[in-house]
Amino acid sequence: MSPAITPSVDVQGYVLALDRGYEPETHVWVLVVAPDRVRLGMDPLGVETAGALAQLALVPLGTEVRRGEPVGSIEAEKFVGPLTAPLSGTVIAHNTAAVADPGLVHRDPLGDGWLVEVAPSDLDAERALLVEGAEHVPPWFEHKLAEYRLKGVLAE
Amino acid sequence: MPAPDNLRVIDFGRADALRSQTLWHAVAYGVSAGSPPTLSFVRPAEPYVCIGYHRRLDEVDLDACRVRGLPVLRRMVGGGPVYLDDGQLFFQISLPVAAVSPNRTRALRDLLAPAVEAFRSVGVPAELDADLEVVVGDQKVCGHGAGQIESAVVFVGNLIERFDHDTATAVLRVPRPEARSELERLMRRYVAATPADPEAFRDAASDAYAAAFSLRAEPGRLSAFERERLAELDRRFEDPEWIAGPERHVPNVWQAKVRAGVWVLAAEHGGASVVAGVARGRIEHVSVADAELNGDAARVEQALVGHRFDDAPAVLGAFGPPGERVAAALARADASRL
Repeated sequence: MSPAITPSVDVQGYVLALDRGYEPETHVWVLVVAPDRVRLGMDPLGVETAGALAQLALVPLGTEVRRGEPVGSIEAEKFVGPLTAPLSGTVIAHNTAAVADPGLVHRDPLGDGWLVEVAPSDLDAERALLVEGAEHVPPWFEHKLAEYRLKGVLAE
Repeated sequence: MPAPDNLRVIDFGRADALRSQTLWHAVAYGVSAGSPPTLSFVRPAEPYVCIGYHRRLDEVDLDACRVRGLPVLRRMVGGGPVYLDDGQLFFQISLPVAAVSPNRTRALRDLLAPAVEAFRSVGVPAELDADLEVVVGDQKVCGHGAGQIESAVVFVGNLIERFDHDTATAVLRVPRPEARSELERLMRRYVAATPADPEAFRDAASDAYAAAFSLRAEPGRLSAFERERLAELDRRFEDPEWIAGPERHVPNVWQAKVRAGVWVLAAEHGGASVVAGVARGRIEHVSVADAELNGDAARVEQALVGHRFDDAPAVLGAFGPPGERVAAALARADASRL
């Protein structure tokens, strides 16, 4: 379930939760749900550029992944792409609802459309590579929006 | 280091089923590792069936394939199960991921546009429609799929010189004979071959892709690294575990796509069963059965044909509980998964 109240910010129509970090290039978010457990999902820009997801596959539970390695894959418009792990660790939970209905990722990317949970192996060091907090998230996202618009990645 | 300015063009000619897949996958790994952008061509020397990266192996009728002696392989790009033979010339463009838009729809449009230009250059009046299909009229004339392999994007398409609709339908697992007939009818209606000179098409595609990505087409060959990857891919693609694929969610309804926007559904609910062929959101053909219809099945079918799929519940409301059961069966469809 989505938290009832999550601090968030609206950046040019995109809502971003401020209780988590964002991998700045792959558009995967990281929410610490317990000291030894983080939840991963796609941010709104990742979801928008991926298109309507037809397929979602996740690496098996127990898989050890390193930051930058695939934690799963998505398919939209017959285009298969990787879901890249923003942190190293062991995959300990899948969102089976999203696997059964990948549209859930689109409908609620920051909440019920989460992807996997990971037991991180180097959280402190790798968390420093994420964009976090009300001071940093909006300017980073504004910059990405401007960059994507300049390159024609997003419709005006 | 300056960006490579060559588009390496490799024509693999005819290749057996396995190599007609592994050759271009090896190229994609090579491009990821620094080989120049590459346009490759390969024609299967033998017929086979190939399933998309995420799809369930049980979407293929393995018995039908066995009887026909057709190997079944799994590719690393998207799309569903397809039948391939020597009537199809396949092309693949492999590019560094940075050369392709992160927006998948935009990327596909960019990768399909040169193919359309190549078709037009050889006299096929192809267009890219709103569903990102290469069409002549409303018939799909080019299958395609794409994927990111490490740091490369590979896009695959084909020139269909001849298309064996019968076998293409027969290799798919279908729950009921009515579904197979409808699938075959829609396949014949919406998928067409466009006989064209394959060498002229190859040359036109080379020119079009080179121009689209500001590259210069140059003939080339596999690198040593790619040959090593080829050997590894040959082993991987024949591994039963790879062919079986990852465990996938099994939907509670059978549906198959013929082309974007055209699909067949077979579903049941509470004793009612339905097979529907849907094109552009409208029901083109439907067969229903329910013990309580008492001979009224034809009337239900007539009422549904031509209506929008989304309007089916309202149409079926006039047929009481059996109509409600047919509506519930239809409601199991999930077009977003196609």
